[in-house]
Amino acid sequence: MTDNLAPSGGGTLRAGIRRGAPALLLLVLLAGASLVPIGADSAALRLASPDRSHVEQLRRAIGDLPSGALVLVACDADLGTYAEIRAATRAALGDLAAHGARLAIVSFTPEGRAIAAAEIDRIARGGGQRPADLGFVAGSEAGLVRGIASIVPKAAAGSTVEAIRQRGGGIGAFDLVLIVSGNDISARSWVEQVGPRLPALPMVAIAPTFLDPELEPYLRSGQLVALLATLREGAAYAEAVGAGSVAGPGSIPGPLPMLVGMLAVLAVLAESAVRRLARRFVRPSFGRRSS
Amino acid sequence: MRRSLLPGIGLVSGLLVLLDLLIVNPSLGDAAGALYELLVLLAAAAAVGGGATLAVHHARALRSGNGDWIGSIVLLVGMAAVLVAGLRPGSSGSSDPAVLWLVAALLAPIAASLFALLFIFLLGAFRRGFVRRGRETAVMAGAAAIVIVLLLPIGGQAGDWLAGGAAWVRAVPLAGIFRGLLIGIGVMVAVSAARSLLALDHDDR
Repeated sequence: MTDNLAPSGGGTLRAGIRRGAPALLLLVLLAGASLVPIGADSAALRLASPDRSHVEQLRRAIGDLPSGALVLVACDADLGTYAEIRAATRAALGDLAAHGARLAIVSFTPEGRAIAAAEIDRIARGGGQRPADLGFVAGSEAGLVRGIASIVPKAAAGSTVEAIRQRGGGIGAFDLVLIVSGNDISARSWVEQVGPRLPALPMVAIAPTFLDPELEPYLRSGQLVALLATLREGAAYAEAVGAGSVAGPGSIPGPLPMLVGMLAVLAVLAESAVRRLARRFVRPSFGRRSS
Repeated sequence: MRRSLLPGIGLVSGLLVLLDLLIVNPSLGDAAGALYELLVLLAAAAAVGGGATLAVHHARALRSGNGDWIGSIVLLVGMAAVLVAGLRPGSSGSSDPAVLWLVAALLAPIAASLFALLFIFLLGAFRRGFVRRGRETAVMAGAAAIVIVLLLPIGGQAGDWLAGGAAWVRAVPLAGIFRGLLIGIGVMVAVSAARSLLALDHDDR
């Protein structure tokens, strides 16, 4: 009896396909949209922010560096939000390399270390100069404070590492710190922990949008020299780097897949709201008629 | 005695760090440095302990046949692969090419793909939310829809207006609410820490 009531294999499959069809359709639409060749700054679609003030601040901070400057890249982004700042981070790494900076990468979070490892691997595969890998420092903010005295692992070697050691071996050895922010360790940690101890050290940051409200005051107070904290600012920066330097434009997200995704979200929200309203207002009136 | 020990350690450590920040003194700096070394060791020990506990939990689940055995096997094999790559003789630890490859070619893309699927799951959650908690979900969905419209990647004058609106929302209402929350949390943390350090909660009891 129960067996008769249970759905057959084919029925279960059809029900599964029906349930998953909208998500699959959306993914196909997004994949299709990402294949359409529309530039990041076409007349109808534009991802880059029209306000270039933050972009100019970062470009100035990097442009003012002396040739051969030591730059520490503190990579502590999250895997969940890194997609939002990937283009800006890669453009900044390219921009720094184009200005002759000697890069060293360190991480204070395990996820940041994973991203840093992937970026170092990407730079090496692309034929660029491999940044000095300072690895992962445990202890979160305590590790950050400890890094002020010493940040170079004993086993590390190379010309950049030697230059850092000659200048003391701590965070103070660097001419600039580029903070690739995430949820656990962001530019806020650097401003709070490193800023008071090394007030002359310039710090610039790239952060996902959700960190913008807490980081913007540090930019206004001058504790951060530059800050890119939205996808659109990141796209504008990547475009500016591509247009004005030999670093190349990097991978800038296309505006069309983003527009398609956003319109799909709006459509789903509108459909859910309309369905909710219909259930609320239509059904009671039917109920009254029937009673 | 046990109750006063932990607040006592916290009080001494906190005062040491605070004094190191306020006063330039080499001895004080050395003492604070030693404290930071201990904290780093403690954090590393906690991480290793957490990893070991996770491995033991999944090994036990596998042995007893309870839970998701495929997930447990994948987790244990993954842990073993990274440990072998990083600890085998001749390996350069976390900077070893094998570890870097595991992280760059497997861990990062897999984790990023999982987070990317949040987009789909969030939409599904919104649909279910409209059915179960209509009013609260409608408020959230309304706010989300406004932000999405403001962030639409459109060119021309309309795009400039939308971008300006998005910047205003971020700089004024959103930043105001966020900073208010941060200040409130900061005050509460300071009050709680002071009560704990001065053992006022202990006296109340």
